[in-house]
Amino acid sequence: MTERAGYIPGLAPQDIAWQNLRFGSPDCALDISVPTLSDTQMRTVAATVRAGGRRLKTLPTERIVDIIDRAAAQLLDRAHPVRRKAEDMLPRITGYDAEMIRLGLTGYLKTFRKPELRKFLAEDFANPLILDDFQPMPKGGFARAFGPGILAHIWAGNVPGLPVWSLVSGLLVKAGNIGKVPSAEPLFAGWFAQILAETDPEIADCFAIVWWKGGDTESETALLREADTVLAYGGNDALSAIRDRLPVTTRYLAYGHKVSFGLISRAALDSRRVPGTAHAAAYDIVRYDQQGCYSPHVFFVENGGRISPEEFSQYLAHELSAFEKKYPRRPLSVAEAGDVAAWRHQEEIRSSAGGDRLVLGDAAGAWSVVYSSDAEDLTPSGLNRTIKVVGVDALADVAPRIAPYRRFLQTVGIAAPPAELYELANLLGQEGITRISALGHMTMPEAGWHHDGRFNLLDLITMTEIEHSAETAADTIAPYAD
Amino acid sequence: MTQDEIIRRLLDFIAADDATESAFNRLALEVFAYQFENNSPFRQFCMQRGRTPRTAKTWRDIPAVPINAFKELTLSCCPPEEAARVFMTSGTTKAGVKGKSYHPTLAVYDASMITHFKKRFMPDRDRIDMGILFPDESAMPNSSLAHYLALAREHFGTGDSRYEIGETGIDFDALFARLAQAEKTGEPYALLGASYSFVPLLDEMKRRNLTFALPVGSRMFDTGGFKGQSRELSLDDFYNQLSTGFGVPRSRCINMYGMTELSTQFYDNGNAVCPSVKSGPHWIRSRVINPLTGEDVPDGETGVLSHCDLAHFNIVSTILTEDAGVVVDGGFLLLGRADGEEARGCSMAVEEFLKAADVAATG
Amino acid sequence: MDFRDKVVLVTGASRGIGAGIAKSFAAEGATVAVNYLQNETAAESVVADCRAAGGDALAFQADVTDGDAAAALVEAAIGAFGKIDVLVNNAFHPYAFDPENRKMFWDLEWADYQTQIDGALRSTHGLCRAVLPEMRKRAQGAIINIATDLVARPTIPYHDYTTAKAALIGFSRNLATELGPIGIRVNCVAPGIVYPTEGTRDTKEEVKDMIVGQTPLKRLARPADVAGPVLFLASPWSGFMTGQVLYVDGGLVMN
Repeated sequence: MTERAGYIPGLAPQDIAWQNLRFGSPDCALDISVPTLSDTQMRTVAATVRAGGRRLKTLPTERIVDIIDRAAAQLLDRAHPVRRKAEDMLPRITGYDAEMIRLGLTGYLKTFRKPELRKFLAEDFANPLILDDFQPMPKGGFARAFGPGILAHIWAGNVPGLPVWSLVSGLLVKAGNIGKVPSAEPLFAGWFAQILAETDPEIADCFAIVWWKGGDTESETALLREADTVLAYGGNDALSAIRDRLPVTTRYLAYGHKVSFGLISRAALDSRRVPGTAHAAAYDIVRYDQQGCYSPHVFFVENGGRISPEEFSQYLAHELSAFEKKYPRRPLSVAEAGDVAAWRHQEEIRSSAGGDRLVLGDAAGAWSVVYSSDAEDLTPSGLNRTIKVVGVDALADVAPRIAPYRRFLQTVGIAAPPAELYELANLLGQEGITRISALGHMTMPEAGWHHDGRFNLLDLITMTEIEHSAETAADTIAPYAD
Repeated sequence: MTQDEIIRRLLDFIAADDATESAFNRLALEVFAYQFENNSPFRQFCMQRGRTPRTAKTWRDIPAVPINAFKELTLSCCPPEEAARVFMTSGTTKAGVKGKSYHPTLAVYDASMITHFKKRFMPDRDRIDMGILFPDESAMPNSSLAHYLALAREHFGTGDSRYEIGETGIDFDALFARLAQAEKTGEPYALLGASYSFVPLLDEMKRRNLTFALPVGSRMFDTGGFKGQSRELSLDDFYNQLSTGFGVPRSRCINMYGMTELSTQFYDNGNAVCPSVKSGPHWIRSRVINPLTGEDVPDGETGVLSHCDLAHFNIVSTILTEDAGVVVDGGFLLLGRADGEEARGCSMAVEEFLKAADVAATG
Repeated sequence: MDFRDKVVLVTGASRGIGAGIAKSFAAEGATVAVNYLQNETAAESVVADCRAAGGDALAFQADVTDGDAAAALVEAAIGAFGKIDVLVNNAFHPYAFDPENRKMFWDLEWADYQTQIDGALRSTHGLCRAVLPEMRKRAQGAIINIATDLVARPTIPYHDYTTAKAALIGFSRNLATELGPIGIRVNCVAPGIVYPTEGTRDTKEEVKDMIVGQTPLKRLARPADVAGPVLFLASPWSGFMTGQVLYVDGGLVMN
């Protein structure tokens, strides 16, 4: 069977060249048709979306919130045909466990319900009405926030549904949106766009979901030329390649790959609490096989608790082996298996050199835990359920070890009592950490979070200010002027 | 077994015409037991894998040591300071840390090289006029390739054989004169060197619009690939240029696959077709494995090459390379470096991180 | 079941049930550490049988009631085989199962109990502690302790012996709870009277007939009958079982 990806307003499907991407196992293949646009077609789509964005700017934000809320509600309904399609196809495309995807989708889509969206707006705008009309400013005069005419999204990765996040941001600021889906998960954004359009045809031309094969192509060049603002996700090489090709006047928001980690206080390491702590930590590792920027690579664990860091690593190992039965790891490509092997071999070699280091888990198994008491810096794991537990005398000692990597840091999952939590948060914030969560929640940012510490909506808008002088000057030539 | 006994056994084994699987197994397990006993980091490595000489039943059960370990561990059965010779890798990765192979004697290395070189490169004659495109041993005392080429010259080169690379690089004029002389005398000639050394030579010939038609029986020898030391050429392009540049058919262009972490080399039977089939002598055996599980991949599938080289007796005999390969009739195909892949999500992968951290440190 | 590349340590394996267990593991390809106390010849013959059966084995002398000796035993076995995947605590202090001449309760001193507790429990305690670092390192392992069905049904009240084995079951269940979260399983196999063994050589036909009469499967257990459930509990087939007692007595005890 073949499923069509993308959402292209302004072009008839028969005028588009479709390319086939094959997923799944040979005996259960899934073919996805992705649209490939010529330079001219991309410009046509851009014109359509730009016009749609203009109309969108006349709708009240509350109405847009309402449309997104209704679209999310439909996808939360497990009987909805698109939701059923998502539950069937996303596991086959990405290889992630079906149950993990189902729960992940529900948790994720819940953050697009009306109350969450309103919180999201309130996070960035003291007065969200500033998106609808000119509002009085404390300094005098009036101001209104405008989203870009065309906001281009270059998405990456295979975590299902992730593109919806920036698409929704773009809609809330009333931008015209053109999103490029990644080959690893080309479907969900298009489905979401389709449902939005069906929910309210008024906004059907405000967005397009497109695809091209990574690298320098006609359609990419065309889009980068048309966009007012470009939001891109991916590795630094890919991000700088995009930057190099943008007109200098184009606003560029790049979200690079990140490293996250966990901190576990000795207070969370008594014999009663340790299984729960290990369970939560393992959940953060298992969810989407550490592919997220918020996924942990290392747990720094404090010495001196009833349970030692080494013992904790053994609890963690068993939790991972239990999760493997519940949510099996995605099948790995040869290259991914090579990465895991290289990481594991490196740790085995170090452990052969002596010192206090353990490599837990079968080489052939679906997870690996390394324990080390060496003063180790933060380093990325081999991904796909490979994790390092590093014993430290005090959690505060971790700060200097992460300092060199501040531009790559994102989330820290913490298990610590309140006083310690706030103290650590201060230290970590200084080193560039932008998000602190509980263990077990690292991969589920709450609604309205500031991705990489940035303002998701404020970063997208420009302010148009009516200065006080214009106001007074206008008054002087008003028909009612004396 | 003592070191002397091991050396004697190996020299006998190499001198024999061939070896059965069971004879190879027997000696491989003895060498394994010797290394397990006399090399503590290797023993630790094996214990971590839950493997001892007692539980290894065939050479395939011997844990393959990733070549990275040569950088981080002192892998030697004899005290390292007693080594007669230390070969080091040329790699510049890992902050200049080099992989080391300690040789208490070069008797086994030399026997391995000479015996197999004779069979694969010089089956038809005893000596040949050689030009060597690589620095000599005094310039590179820790290079296994420099030693290898010195052996080639000493044992198989005529008195007229010489190094064509000096301190300032290739002396083109001298070399071209030498080649012209070979053309004239009709005496077969062999040009040997690192693959990347041939690239500037071919470029210079192109610049001067020179080609040679070396006499019948001439041959070329290259090894090691381009390693970022020269422009990368495709194999077909490389051997076409060699063939047209020197008038030596591609079938007489032999590529050697060797590494500092081994004491035995693999050869192909010419490069009429690329990639060519590589094979080794009876004292080395190779597998293509899944690096994660250590199991053989199904026939015809790509995996990572692992070699069990009995001649590398003082260090470790069974190694896991970083080279992708596939088993074929008569040997294996070498498919280049098994490289990592960028993360599928927005999580950072090790390679990218190292690169980025490097930029951050220097930028 | 394929036990190739698995290493099994069986205590008290030079004869009887222990020897049967060792040989059964070896027949499935396992590498077996055959522990014995005194009879080296018997142990070596078990080793030979193991190798003939397709596995590998070595004999290790150790008095497992001595904690230091238990630790040394584990170290020696790991030194030879690289790891221990399965520990079978089978050793116990010699005991004569003689219904006619057994000691009555009022004949028994505390020292008699102590001897049996040392034989069954102290040895198990010492070995579990000794093997734990190795099993924890791999976050996996199986421990099987040999108890007796007399705990559930004291057909003949061998007070000291049965009390020690009852303690062993309690010990095993606590250990199962403690080690479950780090991936190590602990279970017991509780045989009925096994014939022939050293302890039951002199058991009268009459007694055996009496027991057979009450046993649904109408015979006595042989050493190999005990080995089956032990192998099962050591295998991934029982991967979700811990803290259990499997009775191997032809149905004499049902629970």
